[in-house]
Amino acid sequence: MSISTPGEVGSRVSKDRPSLLNNEERAQLAARKRNGKFFLFLTVVPVILAVLLILTLFGSVLLQAVSWQVVEPRNSGQTFSLREARTWEGVVRLELLAQGRTTQDIEALLSDSEELRKFKARNRVELMFRANGEPLRWVVTNIRDDVEEVYSLIERWDRERDSLTELAEGQNYYLNPWMDFSFLLRNNSGRPTVAGLSSALVGTLWVIGLVILLSLPVGVGTAIYLEEYAPDNRFTRLLEVNLRNLAGVPSIVYGILGLYVFVRTAGFGPSVIAAACTLSLLILPVVVIAAREAIRAVPGSLREASYGLGATKWQTVSRVVLPNAATGIVTGVILAVARAIGETAPLLMVGGAGFVNKVPDSPLSNYSVIPTQIYSWINAPQKAFDNVASAGIVSLLGVLILLYVLANILRRRYEKKW
Amino acid sequence: MIRGILFLCASISVLTTVAVILALSSETVAFFADPAVSILEFFTGRQWTPLFAEDQRHFGILPLVLGTLLVTAIALVVGLPLGLGSAIFLSEFASDRLRRSAVPILEVLAGIPTVVLGYFALLTVTPVLREIVPGLNLFNPLSAGIVMGFMILPTVSSISIDSMQAVPRAMREAAYGLGASKAEVVVKVVIPAALSGIVASFILAMSRAIGETMIVSLAAGQKPTFTFDPRETIATMTSFIVQAATGDQPAGSLASRSLYAVGATLFLITLFLNIMSQQVVRRFAEKYE
Repeated sequence: MSISTPGEVGSRVSKDRPSLLNNEERAQLAARKRNGKFFLFLTVVPVILAVLLILTLFGSVLLQAVSWQVVEPRNSGQTFSLREARTWEGVVRLELLAQGRTTQDIEALLSDSEELRKFKARNRVELMFRANGEPLRWVVTNIRDDVEEVYSLIERWDRERDSLTELAEGQNYYLNPWMDFSFLLRNNSGRPTVAGLSSALVGTLWVIGLVILLSLPVGVGTAIYLEEYAPDNRFTRLLEVNLRNLAGVPSIVYGILGLYVFVRTAGFGPSVIAAACTLSLLILPVVVIAAREAIRAVPGSLREASYGLGATKWQTVSRVVLPNAATGIVTGVILAVARAIGETAPLLMVGGAGFVNKVPDSPLSNYSVIPTQIYSWINAPQKAFDNVASAGIVSLLGVLILLYVLANILRRRYEKKW
Repeated sequence: MIRGILFLCASISVLTTVAVILALSSETVAFFADPAVSILEFFTGRQWTPLFAEDQRHFGILPLVLGTLLVTAIALVVGLPLGLGSAIFLSEFASDRLRRSAVPILEVLAGIPTVVLGYFALLTVTPVLREIVPGLNLFNPLSAGIVMGFMILPTVSSISIDSMQAVPRAMREAAYGLGASKAEVVVKVVIPAALSGIVASFILAMSRAIGETMIVSLAAGQKPTFTFDPRETIATMTSFIVQAATGDQPAGSLASRSLYAVGATLFLITLFLNIMSQQVVRRFAEKYE
């Protein structure tokens, strides 16, 4: 007789032995088997749906980050292959030659910093995925280029089928990757083709830098207090309950808090520092919980050994507990920061929603961060800003993926097992 | 000394709570003290137009509450079965290896910034839905709710997985010994035993959905409407707060104060739900040795 694995109904009823069941019981058994299979199906479907949704989301963002453009160029209209030029200067030289300038003229322009600045303000060098049917071409686009049409890859198929891809005289076809390197370096603008992420990127660096400076010491301090020092009294219990509840407060409420306390009462205005303070309070519970877990994972025997050598409480905490908990704390902070980078709603409340095309240079500057910039682009009237927004999303997700990978590497490589 | 510094750090979290309550209550009290506002109208009025000109202002929060409930209900209809289903599959049917690799993939849904989910709802989900559902507005709670359902999926599934994994193996084996099938064990033994955790995860997911801002601001619209129709453009409590804060309402104006009153309502609702979910775990959790 074979031994059945648990849960397989009726698997012991083998073919060659006379069945002990009558017809009715056999039908019942079959029904139970069917129900079991149906139940398994019901539970597999959600997992598949979730994975499909994630794939669709990433797919649609990437698809939106590339688009076809019909452009009437104001520059020479020529495109250059990767072999012809490799540097920014090389492309510009070729373009100016194509415009009919003399070599002398070009050298003069490239060496004069004021002329160069003006040229850079009006033109930018882009690497198009396709230009007029050829793959990977450099194009020098002018700020006054007329963008006749913008459409997605899928719409292009429809057009090719209906043979609507004919071009008028003097028009060019570009397959424009919105998310290119210069997108990260350009300032924001009211024109979708030249709008860039640099002010929001630097804004995010400022805000997140300050968030780490503020939330790391306070969060770790709270964790040390709760794990090593706190007496078992009512205040400690209040702290614990309070932290649990703070973690569940919607982020928009932190935005209201930031608006009231930092923007208005403290008089910071819609500035980097107000944003950093708001976000620090938002992620504080997460940092505290992660740091407490890391500290709790350090075995008591290590502390006892340290005390045995005559160390004081603080010496033990600072030289034995914290170094051994460092990996866990850093991993927790990275994950908390990843959350802070993606937060949009509270920052819209404390000034991140304004139009900013200047890079912030002090804690009191106006700012925008990547997610609030994306929000503004989605709300902008021109349709082409949707493409800019998806380029912004690609950058945001890229940063987040980097952070998650970093946290995972840290955890795998440096985490100590006791 | 050091103890004192650490104590100060710890008090900051308490101060945060105090500041939240202070900010919300002082402005809310000032809001209700204004002669243009009546508490009765606030809780029963069906028109919410605080950003309009003075003679057309109405302060009835019901449209916002209804909008929030509509989106939340759609999110829960989508998110709870999906979350519980995937939790059952990953906890009871999947191998350890599959579980360890699939759980982080589901967690991705919770890690994606909500502004990205809002963008996805508005530009990908809504166009597809408009092909299927006649009369669907560009901004609608249906698409926002569906995407939000996927956002709360990991909240439901990860807590439910934990509580199902905590059900002792002996109970499952006993059921198998009585001849139960795998599905019967899950439905009649594991789920009842893990029910407190599952219910807590549902409540927590509901609280997440109510407090979620970006998906609704982007995809559901910003027009407070007293309606049960998921095709209409609506506004929720959270999307109104964003709308009021990003406009140019001068501090201290009634329009700016109204956002604190809405914020206080939102805060109380989510706080109540969070405490409920903790109570459910504490009160009804079955303890196994």
